[in-house]
Amino acid sequence: MITKLAGGVVLDPANGVNGERRDLFMDNGRIVAAPADGRVDRSYDLRGLVAMAGAIDIHSHVSGGKVNLARLLMSEDHRDVTVARGALTRSGGGEATPSSFVTGYRYAAMGYTAAFEPAMVPSNARAAHLEMADLPIIDKGTYVMLGNDELLLRMLAEGAEQERIDDYVAWMMQATAALGVKTVNPGGISAFKFNGRGLDIDQAGPQHGVTPRRIIQALARAVSELGVPHPLHTHCNNLGIPGNIETTLATIAAAEGFPIHLTHAQFHSYGTEGDRHFSSAAARLAEAVNRNRNVTLDVGQIMFGQTVTASADTMAQYRNRVFASPDKWISMDIECDGGCGLVPFHYRDTNFVNALQWAIGLELFLLIADPWRVFLTTDHPNGAPFTAYPTLVRLLMDRGYRNDCLKTLHPAAQKATNLGSIAREYTLEEIAIMTRASPARLLGLADRGQLGIGAAADITVYADDADRERMFRAPRYVFKDGVEVSGESGIAAMPMGATHVVRPEFDKGATGPIKRFFDDHMTVGFAHFPLSPGELADAGIRVLEHACRPRTRA
Amino acid sequence: MPSIACPFCGLVCDDLLLEEGRVDSRGCAKGAAGFARPEGIREHRIAGGPVPFAAAAAAAATLLAGAQQPLIAGLGADIAGVRALLALADRTGAIVDRWQSAAQLSNLAVMQRAGALAATFGEIANRADVVLLLGRDPSREHPRLFERLLRNRTALYRAGAPWVSYLGPPALAPADIALAVPAPVEASSLVDALAALSAMVRGKRVAGNAAALPLAALGQIAERLKAARYGAILWEAAAFALGEAQIAAALVLHILRILNLTTRCVGLPLGGGDNAQGAAQAMLWQAGWPGRISFATGTPEHDPWRFDAERLLAAREVDALLWVAALSPTPPPATTVPTVALVGPDVTLPAAPAVEIRVGVPALDHAGAVVRADTVIALPLAAARPSALPSVAAAAAAILERIGASR
Repeated sequence: MITKLAGGVVLDPANGVNGERRDLFMDNGRIVAAPADGRVDRSYDLRGLVAMAGAIDIHSHVSGGKVNLARLLMSEDHRDVTVARGALTRSGGGEATPSSFVTGYRYAAMGYTAAFEPAMVPSNARAAHLEMADLPIIDKGTYVMLGNDELLLRMLAEGAEQERIDDYVAWMMQATAALGVKTVNPGGISAFKFNGRGLDIDQAGPQHGVTPRRIIQALARAVSELGVPHPLHTHCNNLGIPGNIETTLATIAAAEGFPIHLTHAQFHSYGTEGDRHFSSAAARLAEAVNRNRNVTLDVGQIMFGQTVTASADTMAQYRNRVFASPDKWISMDIECDGGCGLVPFHYRDTNFVNALQWAIGLELFLLIADPWRVFLTTDHPNGAPFTAYPTLVRLLMDRGYRNDCLKTLHPAAQKATNLGSIAREYTLEEIAIMTRASPARLLGLADRGQLGIGAAADITVYADDADRERMFRAPRYVFKDGVEVSGESGIAAMPMGATHVVRPEFDKGATGPIKRFFDDHMTVGFAHFPLSPGELADAGIRVLEHACRPRTRA
Repeated sequence: MPSIACPFCGLVCDDLLLEEGRVDSRGCAKGAAGFARPEGIREHRIAGGPVPFAAAAAAAATLLAGAQQPLIAGLGADIAGVRALLALADRTGAIVDRWQSAAQLSNLAVMQRAGALAATFGEIANRADVVLLLGRDPSREHPRLFERLLRNRTALYRAGAPWVSYLGPPALAPADIALAVPAPVEASSLVDALAALSAMVRGKRVAGNAAALPLAALGQIAERLKAARYGAILWEAAAFALGEAQIAAALVLHILRILNLTTRCVGLPLGGGDNAQGAAQAMLWQAGWPGRISFATGTPEHDPWRFDAERLLAAREVDALLWVAALSPTPPPATTVPTVALVGPDVTLPAAPAVEIRVGVPALDHAGAVVRADTVIALPLAAARPSALPSVAAAAAAILERIGASR
């Protein structure tokens, strides 16, 4: 069945199309060329409308044990925000911690067709994937967390060859059905279990004496040598601490030129200047990103209001428990491979620190020159729920609105930021790059984030509106794999999206030490730790495997 | 010889051995009994008379769809089963509850209100150098707990066995592990003893009028916990009187918060047999609440008192019951409420329910996955004696399909 989207203005930066009026055709879930005989089965009139690929969120805590604990902790969120079942849709609720079905509906209704869970603890992989079987419509995938796992730390302490580390990382990615590798406060989560309360990048951790720098170095290189498209997804040490810009810049250096992605960089761009010893270091980080082509980042913008911070970084979360609002928090040490900490936050524009955090995030967006290397996130739900994205788009595209908002903030914060003097406004093309073309490229999803012939027919159609918040809040149509999933009367269909994975190769003969480690020390044996090949399919999950570049050896 | 996982308590040990249909349960009586369950009844029935599966599913659909207020209870199923039951509940506006879930919800209520300091089995097995067991011998419900978490010989970060102490009634004390300092206290004074312990870890003196409390032993426990590198407090909410389980969990959290100012100490609430944590997790992700949920108004509502299955049946506030017991062989509660029983083949039914659907037992009849008591880890189950019995997931889906989109 051929569907024609007729006469829309198309923004497809991956294919060099910037605002041209053209027709799009979809058949069997793919974008196809115009049929030779001109026959189409269905046509949508897109005159006056703007079409882009479906948006892709590269960092959003949507699934897994940590998210479920956040739902439990945020019971007020589920009492206050409820969503009724519909003819097609399931009931649920929550704003900061939405239930799985509601997460899918809200993303789809906002024009997103994929979101990636960025912090899957290895031991939680099976449960996280089973949960994602109930995350409808959008595509998904996970980054597996390494860098606080006992076996890697031990290998580094023993001076294991990089090749063995590469094998381990590849084995772990296959075992957990991951799309990328994440490291969170490298070494720090492990150190907290030994009662360490802080860990600097060149500080030797407990037990093994391994520094965060060494962990970052080894993992960034492993991911690169394995040919995994997504660079090491890095949550730096010292999250939230004034002066942590030095750690963040040192993290870039630690990657030694290998590709590295800095996540929720706003929380890692703090200086110590001023009377309050808390200042913006966004300009310094932006300058480093502009200079180092191997670096990408997502911002983790905060927006004012109630949310909950959900992070594997137990060290930072324990430190931040004093800011819990409401006053309750969870910390959990997990299986010698990770952890999770949940702390509710209410960001207030009347609070100096919160107000400056807001400005720092926007400074990062506006000072990084290349829209292909900066990504739009709120680190959902840590900076704000993902439903804040349309407002954030307006802040980037509309300087007048941005400066009006700035004027309402804590006065000392207004003085501490250069935001008011930054003239830049994002263009629609830059938004399309940052939310479509570039995320797909950074994740290795060749057939997503673009509208070329053969691409997946994930398409979002907006009414062009000078109020960019209104425009991005409610697209006119959203197509997922060619099916209209969201239209003028809400959710129109409920297909299940796919789970994206890569399967980098490893030396099958090199798994002996991994087996011994699991069987001797862990409470899940080597036989059952990995997801078996058919397990996800048996749970009704459609797995889409993407290619890695050929493995290289040093 | 392939190793398999065992779903018959919250430990979900995964080192049992399967050879030619026989399971070596590694000395665990509970696991052995689980894997030796008889093949039992394999036919579906309406009002006691055998019918094909499709007819039973259709009758169940008619009963649930026609009810003013259906109740889905028991929820003894694997993750796929619970997911499918929740879909059915959402469609029919049912209330869902496990059975006698008050103990589990006591712990979860404290987490909802105040939070938690917790750890998984792997952390405790590899790190805990000081362990306090509360309330009763946890190995009664978790037979291999000591072997796997406290007596494991290859712990990564502690040398030798942990210092273990027990605070609780002497009659329920663990016999199978050496206790450095037993702190005998009757069940009626257990919460008082915890309060005294929390004062002691804060460095307060406890007055001598607390005659029923083993103050000297509590003092030693407090000092050990403060000096520990990584302490752990293990308890089962079910060991406490109903009104006291929440107080106990809150006091444990209070103690943990004080200790973590200077060292590390974590809590491990045990229980979680019958995939209780898997059910709670699926309810959380699908509906935002860990149990006792009503879908009657079209949106999920949680109320630990109103949506207690036992109370609802006693008060006859429901007019149809879907009883689910695929994991533990628990017959439906005695009730005159018309019942659809989704039960394992070896469950003896005291009276013929309106509809009886015999479902497979996960790990025996079919593969699946369940979640351990420590919540983070799901384990795959193999089919030790595969059969054609439908899973709970398949049965719930068949019922839902026959209800269709009519409601």
